[in-house]
Amino acid sequence: MRTRRGRRWIRLAKRVASHVVLILACLFALFPIYFIAVTSFSALPIASITAHVLLPNPSLLTTASYNAILFHQSPSFLSLLENSLIFAGSSAAIGLALAAFTGFALSKFNFPGRRAFVYFILLISLFPSVLLVIPFYFMFANLGLIDTYLGLIIPYSAGAVVFSGILVKNYMDSIPDDIEEAALVDGMSRTQAFFRVLIPLCYPVLGLAAFLAFIGPYTDYALAHVFITSSDKWTLALGIYTLNSSDTGSMPYGLVTAFAIVMSLPIVVAYIVFQRYIVGGLTLGAVRG
Amino acid sequence: MTGIRLENVTKRFKTVVAVDDVSVEVADGEFLVILGASGSGKSTILRIIAGLEVQTSGHVFIGDMMVDDYEPRDRNIAMVFQSYALYPHLSVFDNIAFGLKVRHVERDEIDRRVNESARQLGISEVLKRRPSELSGGQRQRVALARAIVRQPEAFLLDEPLSNLDARIRSSARIELKRIHQQLKQTFVFVTHDQSEAMTLGDRLAIVDHGKLLQYDTPQQVLSHPLNRYVASFVGSPEMVFLEGNVEAAGTAFTFVEGPVRIPVRGVGKPGPVTIGLRPWDIAVGRSARDGGLPATVTGIERFGSSDQVFLDLQGPPGSLPARGGSAVAIRAMVRAYDFNVGDAVWVGFDPDRALFFDAEGERLESMSLLNRLP
Repeated sequence: MRTRRGRRWIRLAKRVASHVVLILACLFALFPIYFIAVTSFSALPIASITAHVLLPNPSLLTTASYNAILFHQSPSFLSLLENSLIFAGSSAAIGLALAAFTGFALSKFNFPGRRAFVYFILLISLFPSVLLVIPFYFMFANLGLIDTYLGLIIPYSAGAVVFSGILVKNYMDSIPDDIEEAALVDGMSRTQAFFRVLIPLCYPVLGLAAFLAFIGPYTDYALAHVFITSSDKWTLALGIYTLNSSDTGSMPYGLVTAFAIVMSLPIVVAYIVFQRYIVGGLTLGAVRG
Repeated sequence: MTGIRLENVTKRFKTVVAVDDVSVEVADGEFLVILGASGSGKSTILRIIAGLEVQTSGHVFIGDMMVDDYEPRDRNIAMVFQSYALYPHLSVFDNIAFGLKVRHVERDEIDRRVNESARQLGISEVLKRRPSELSGGQRQRVALARAIVRQPEAFLLDEPLSNLDARIRSSARIELKRIHQQLKQTFVFVTHDQSEAMTLGDRLAIVDHGKLLQYDTPQQVLSHPLNRYVASFVGSPEMVFLEGNVEAAGTAFTFVEGPVRIPVRGVGKPGPVTIGLRPWDIAVGRSARDGGLPATVTGIERFGSSDQVFLDLQGPPGSLPARGGSAVAIRAMVRAYDFNVGDAVWVGFDPDRALFFDAEGERLESMSLLNRLP
């Protein structure tokens, strides 16, 4: 009896301890976001914000910063958002389509140099993309693509292929060849089997790939800063930077944080949309087991 | 309704010869079982028929058509995979209907045929479920229904029963045979399980290392194996082999292994020879009248209706009993509970059933036991 009760206590203690650790980890992750949120709703100078953050005074909360960035900014917030969505959306769509084909080819076709190619792609993805900004600039300047939508969408999509192509390949590797072959015997061409059997089975990884392919361009600063010169094509990431470089001398924390909060909303929405694909495990039970 | 013919089919993967000059003709409506150990090339043969692999040389005919250049989808065959390979993202109904939808069969016709084949296989209740919600036996039925619903020219089955529990495997076997009798279509079935092959096949093709070793009815394969590999692979319990030498003394030949001496006849010349006997062709009795060779029971495996006894053969009567190690171990099937470990018994071989193999394992048709033992 005694040992059984003792064991129960140990189990309870373990559970409490693990929850304490998890709660601390959550606080650690969430606090910066909370800090930004509170800052964005206050008009105080930075020095007094810290005290305000720990004990927010409701009477000091204001939406003035939001008002300023959303309605009294040039170029307008809406224009920045529109550009960001154009860049990120089309890059994600193009990158995703290319990544699906790349993954299919690398996973299900046997051609000479396949392994070498996979390693080559992995090697490329090791380099920070900022390294490519200058060579890209010269190349795209020659092609007359600087300060155009296409000029940014091409490198963004290419970046998505490099990373997501491998992601899709690894996922397709886990789909047994039998399933594709069953489709071939059932009367499909390889292309049909790809679209009607493999692609639906890959929804989880494609959802993840689309999400990542969207986030990259949406948050990119380096490439956009170099390539885009006219303000009517500025993205959100460029817009947030202009807040800082205004000539007031001090950092407008309220504006910057409010901007960051609004800018992050589409990412949150995208995550919620794609989360069920990311979490889903469709192939379970496809084969014996 | 179509037969299948392979003409000198060879398949090489880089340096490995997976299928080595195989020629087989399956008659219309026949049930062919390709039997072989894993890695023998049996599945590759099936995949070549399906068009999933392309042979390095040789030809494949389905009916009168040479289909060498045909894609799998144009061969109008159905295949059941070992893993079943159901589409995980589709319901059972859509899994079965898939091949019909691709061929643009009318909707009403699809409904009718899917329901018909589901009824035939007893899976009407689960048509709305996903494959992941089915038991192994149900998945296997769905895979079979998916093949049947297409009304193909022939069925190719790649070890479809090997992932089932032993309990339902035998009933699935009977059911498969029933379906074949109902459809009267050509079946090619690949397995490594010889008892599956014996019960299902109208004909067996036994392959090893890509070579077709024998192509015959199950009865012929069992009673007249062409070589030692086939003899040992087919039949359960496995054939007993006595590996010794034939010694000549004038015109008389004697087979010698350890202390055992058995007079044989034939145009054989002295040298290494193996005698093969089915365990059920070895007679075991309690007195010298029952057999010619003394032996001791060293072990018993009880199957219920019969026993397999493990015996140590000793020299001919009158000679000294063999001492440990030099005795020749054999097995025999006897009536249940007739013998116990340690019993001294007499063993006899049926001369009409004993098979002889040379050093390469090829059958020596010319040799036989000289007389009934005793």
